[in-house]
Amino acid sequence: MKNQWSAIFTGTTKVKVSGRGIERFLNQLTRSGISIWNVKRHGAEAITFQMGLKDINQLRGPARTSKCKIRFIERAGGPFFLKKLWTNSGFLLGGAAFLAVIIILSNMVWGIEINGASPATEHKIRKELSQLGVEKGKLQFTVEGVDEIQRDLTDNIKALTWVGVELQGTTYHLQVVEKKEPEKPEVLKPQNLVAKKKALVVKMFVEEGEPAVELNEYVRPGQLLVSGTIGKEDETKSVPARGEILGETWYKTHVDLPLNSTFKVFSGKEKRNYYLGTGGKDLKVWGFGKHQFKQSETESNQNPIKIFKWELPLSVKKETIREREVVVRIYSEKQAVQVAKELARRDIKSRLPEDAIIKGEKILHQSIENDKVKLITYFRIIEDIAAGQPITQGDE
Amino acid sequence: MAKKWGQRIRNWMTQKMDLPQDVMMDLPRVTMIGQIHIYIENHRGLLAFSDRELRLLLKQGQLIVKGKAFVIKTIMPEEILLEGKIDQVIYINDNPGGS
Repeated sequence: MKNQWSAIFTGTTKVKVSGRGIERFLNQLTRSGISIWNVKRHGAEAITFQMGLKDINQLRGPARTSKCKIRFIERAGGPFFLKKLWTNSGFLLGGAAFLAVIIILSNMVWGIEINGASPATEHKIRKELSQLGVEKGKLQFTVEGVDEIQRDLTDNIKALTWVGVELQGTTYHLQVVEKKEPEKPEVLKPQNLVAKKKALVVKMFVEEGEPAVELNEYVRPGQLLVSGTIGKEDETKSVPARGEILGETWYKTHVDLPLNSTFKVFSGKEKRNYYLGTGGKDLKVWGFGKHQFKQSETESNQNPIKIFKWELPLSVKKETIREREVVVRIYSEKQAVQVAKELARRDIKSRLPEDAIIKGEKILHQSIENDKVKLITYFRIIEDIAAGQPITQGDE
Repeated sequence: MAKKWGQRIRNWMTQKMDLPQDVMMDLPRVTMIGQIHIYIENHRGLLAFSDRELRLLLKQGQLIVKGKAFVIKTIMPEEILLEGKIDQVIYINDNPGGS
């Protein structure tokens, strides 16, 4: 026995047969392989039954030979349903449009809230955000992720110590901690000033305390420069020694620079693909065709589609393929030496405090071997060499 | 005569070889579920159908089902499923006086 439920998809129809010899007609139908069901008698000369739409054509033969009258009185199932749907497609379209609008609105940025920032900083943040593309009315797919925004803000706005970016529904919440310009720490505890490194004292400016060294004196690391203990032998007093002791210090840097070097750089050409993903499977919706890049790097980020505050199991994936080029840099020997010197200077600056001055430099060694420039430079630097050392009770 | 011989041989074979009788002898197989369903396999066509009576042709004789509010749920060349309230199931043997 077969079930007829599958006929619902292909469509069914209700047939009314009237006349004489209905039973014979039914026998003919079943013998020609038409499945019929729900056969009911209506009075002496009429019956109704249901049959699948796909068997309608086969009905013709038996219908001709018999003397029955056949009428189709009801239609149901797939094709008829679709037809009905088509006539009412306005509703369907309206529903789809409504859903689409809701989804679009749910994925828009509707607000940016900034907490804990002064008006000036807030203005800066808003400017930076709009440069990043985070603005009211933007779609969240086009906006970068929360982590990128956070990184970008902390990198580009000096006044920020930390910023926490959080996306709650359609609103970005930014929690800001501003940098407080540190005020000069008031030195209250008695201290000595000692030398940080080996140096030649070239300038002394003592605000408080008793100098223990003289100009043009060589000092070793840890040597007392300004004593915090002042007064005569009997009545000594401990004060916080303050001052600036500039010393000449010496540094040696080694720079190795290859004459030929290869770099990988992005050429600026890129191709974007968009995917609609669900459950780990991705369907490409934009960006068909293969890229022509010989070398490339692919970056992809995924954004879930939201409806109100819930996330749908759908996501939009953006894939950016950037062309990569290999660039060969070749220096002539002269250029290489020049660059190496520059590198040495940069290297020394990175090792020194900001207020240090390069007083002189001298190349100790310069050679070109195996396509490599080797440079040893000697720098004379003027820098503050004083460091505080607290005087503890009972030390004296 | 030949038909009778064939019948006899079949009868003998089913008895000796322990085969199901409906398969060998083209008998109808009737399954009833209470009074509400009757399922008949191996019939030879519909003879009459109304909401109180169903008459089926068998290989030998006829089968009459009587009751109320009959609806044929499914009909196929050799099977029929009838629904309704079944009161009687009657076999009519193939006699010269029959239809």
